[in-house]
Amino acid sequence: MNQSPERRAVAGGSSQNGNLQTRLSLEKRAFLWALFAASVSLGGALLMASPIQKIASWPFFTGGSSSGIVASPQLLAQGAGFFAQSCADCHGDDAHGDEGPDLHNLAISDGRIASQIKNGTKDEMPSFAKKYGDPQIAALVAYVRSLR
Amino acid sequence: MSIDPTLWPKLHGASTHFPVALAMAAALFEGLGALWPKSSPRKAQLHAAGYFTILLGALGTFPAVLSGLFMTKGRALGHDAELFHHLFVWPAFALLVGLGVWRALVGEKASPRGFAIYLTVLLITAGLMAGAGYWGGELILNS
Repeated sequence: MNQSPERRAVAGGSSQNGNLQTRLSLEKRAFLWALFAASVSLGGALLMASPIQKIASWPFFTGGSSSGIVASPQLLAQGAGFFAQSCADCHGDDAHGDEGPDLHNLAISDGRIASQIKNGTKDEMPSFAKKYGDPQIAALVAYVRSLR
Repeated sequence: MSIDPTLWPKLHGASTHFPVALAMAAALFEGLGALWPKSSPRKAQLHAAGYFTILLGALGTFPAVLSGLFMTKGRALGHDAELFHHLFVWPAFALLVGLGVWRALVGEKASPRGFAIYLTVLLITAGLMAGAGYWGGELILNS
């Protein structure tokens, strides 16, 4: 009986054809299960993105955003003005990132955002401590926090 | 009452390195196992190591993906480095889960052709995981 080299290598001879068939059948079934598991995992993760978007914006998960900043429309407008003046060059006019990162949905506390604005990061972002006082930085934080 | 908002980045950082490292280790073990002489007992040991590392790697993707989704507040793609990170992550995630399931079910009974396909896909997956890790690092360093 003629066998391909591969079949001979796998089965070791014609007497083991049954084993070979079982093995190929097992591999095919395993492939289908693998395809199913990969699709469910990937699809599930992507489907969960939308509910997670809602859940993650609950105060429990955002740390409450409770820095005492009341995000009034005036404060947000003031923050937007400071942003256009000092931040848009690097972070983009829409704050979706350019040279600097996207500032939407930041997963850091208000205090950390304020500290970043005040102190900057060496070789990456300048410090704005001399340009802006605490009230202006609070407005910027409120504006950045409002970016969803 | 609320949780620390930096919890998700911390959890993602803590969980994400396992699947990256395990996928690459599995590719290494299985690749070496394929090259090792058949007569040596080391061949079976390398395949056994590859078997367990791919299973652990596949399991490890779930906490990494979940914490990542919470960290980005459900953003599945994003922009710039985050977009590149996700373009590597999603196919790598699906492939790693699929490879883990296939390897778990087939075990030592893989045909040479089946194993060659598995190894090729595993090497691609390890490359994708490395790319995801690289862009994840870029995200951390540039934000």
